[in-house]
Amino acid sequence: MWGQTANQEASLKAVFIYNFTKYIEWDNLNAEDNFIIGIMGSSALDATIEAIAKKNFVKNKRIILRHFNSPEEISTCHILFIPRDYPGPVRSVTERAGKKVLVIADKVNAARQGAAINFVLVNDKLKFEINAETLYTAGLKASSQLLKLAIIVD
Amino acid sequence: MQVFTSVIVLAIFFMAYIFTDIRDYKERKVKSVTSLAHVIGINSVSTILFEDNEAAKDILAGLKNVAPEIVRADILDKHNNFFAGYLRPGAANPDTLLIKYLKEPVFKDTLLFVGDNIMNNDELIGRVSLVVELSELSALKKSKSEMAAILLIAALCISFLIALAVQPYISKRLLYLVNAIKRVGQTGNYDIPIIDNGKDEISVLVRTFNNLMKEVNESQQRKDEFIGIASHELKTPLTSIKGYLDLLNVMEDKEPNKQCVQKALESTHKLEKLIKDLLDVSKIQSGQLQLNISRFNMVELLDETIAAIQMVARTHSITREDDHEDQMISADKEKIEQVLINLLSNAVKYSAPESKVIVSSKNNGTELVIKIRDYGIGVPEDELNQIFGRFYRTKNSSVHISGLGLGLYICRDIILRHKGRIWAEKETKGSSFYFALPVGVYAEM
Repeated sequence: MWGQTANQEASLKAVFIYNFTKYIEWDNLNAEDNFIIGIMGSSALDATIEAIAKKNFVKNKRIILRHFNSPEEISTCHILFIPRDYPGPVRSVTERAGKKVLVIADKVNAARQGAAINFVLVNDKLKFEINAETLYTAGLKASSQLLKLAIIVD
Repeated sequence: MQVFTSVIVLAIFFMAYIFTDIRDYKERKVKSVTSLAHVIGINSVSTILFEDNEAAKDILAGLKNVAPEIVRADILDKHNNFFAGYLRPGAANPDTLLIKYLKEPVFKDTLLFVGDNIMNNDELIGRVSLVVELSELSALKKSKSEMAAILLIAALCISFLIALAVQPYISKRLLYLVNAIKRVGQTGNYDIPIIDNGKDEISVLVRTFNNLMKEVNESQQRKDEFIGIASHELKTPLTSIKGYLDLLNVMEDKEPNKQCVQKALESTHKLEKLIKDLLDVSKIQSGQLQLNISRFNMVELLDETIAAIQMVARTHSITREDDHEDQMISADKEKIEQVLINLLSNAVKYSAPESKVIVSSKNNGTELVIKIRDYGIGVPEDELNQIFGRFYRTKNSSVHISGLGLGLYICRDIILRHKGRIWAEKETKGSSFYFALPVGVYAEM
């Protein structure tokens, strides 16, 4: 965990994304729905996220991955992840995201540009920022267990 | 005994009490620490999921105020690696290995090690372990032990006092009974019942003993009566036999007829002596033996008796060795003669031929002491008092020396009736028999 290699960091981020689902409440989940994770472009996390999606469930639902190459392609999803190597501006993605979508970014300052959660490295350790206002505006609730670990930004 | 029993019982009781008390305390402690570990576990789920050991450390640091008795707290990840830890400031670091592989609560010295799994939706993601210092435990042990000791001492005192109070009621009566039994053994007086007013086992024992003694006494009496009747019935035909033998002895002067008659007469004398002894015993038992007091010279009687015995015991040398002064005394002459004959014949009977028997008398102002010293087989030390008992035969002679064992018994009775004393002493070779009769003013009866 300390001084992770790029690979380790990528898989850790994938695990984090999955773990976030345990502390966020979506009140629009219907019984027949799958849990959809949208990913902007492709990223180093893809393999790990796929592996997790195959084995695990979120709120008893199967996990489906969707890749969007541009903001225009964005369709219904519960999590929208913006990887570090996604070239477009964050704003253009977040503006398209809509209600009940948890936008997770891996870009500097993304939490101030409409992402609810953003990965950061503090002293070589993977941490995450949460923008509580963004979460609220998106109509999502985060557990205090999650908030206490986050770096809160506004 | 009672005190000892009560102390043992109380000590066991107190030990059980302290043991269960401490066990209860430990159980309570395990429960409370386990639930604390559980709460910590629940609170640190997210820190493990997001690998945030700083946050986990913060949670554990909060223990300092919440539960100051916790010495060390650790969160381990699912691979059993240390994830976050807390050590109470200034505390020594407890056994790390034990913390890592802790399966169930462990007490070590004054420390309690407790662990709990951290679960996330049925998935094991880590462990919490807490090390608690049981500072109260030693204090609890100490205070309970002190209390138990105080109570034990108090109980000891009380039971001692009770035992002291009950002592006369039990031990005294038992000792009384033992003394009574001893007395019966020594005197042979079986008809004195022991009095005990209790209603417990001891009085049952006393009653049983009294009944037994009553039966023994009755059978003794029947035996005495039988001896009395038997000896009396034997005497009548014997007198007649003796009369005819005497007559035959006078009439017959042809050998070997005369020798036969004399042998028969000799045996008749022996038989007559035995029957006389039995009759005397019977009289002693029934209290019919009467003294016929007269005043006579003891020294004369000694010489006469010595001469008479010397006649039949020619191989022995019986001598009198004293200052030969006359010793006047008031007594039953015939009975005293009987005593002398008995003692002298014993001296002869229990010593080898050619040995000496020495008789001496001595007046010490209050009593006249007669001593008969023999150089025979002697009397064992432990039998010196018993030989004056009825039918008592000394153990090392019973086989080859005849007699019923009545002589000394009769002697003792005669001397005691004279308010005198009779005893025997062991000598380096043989023994000395003494009897003493009161003289002068001491002889007033």
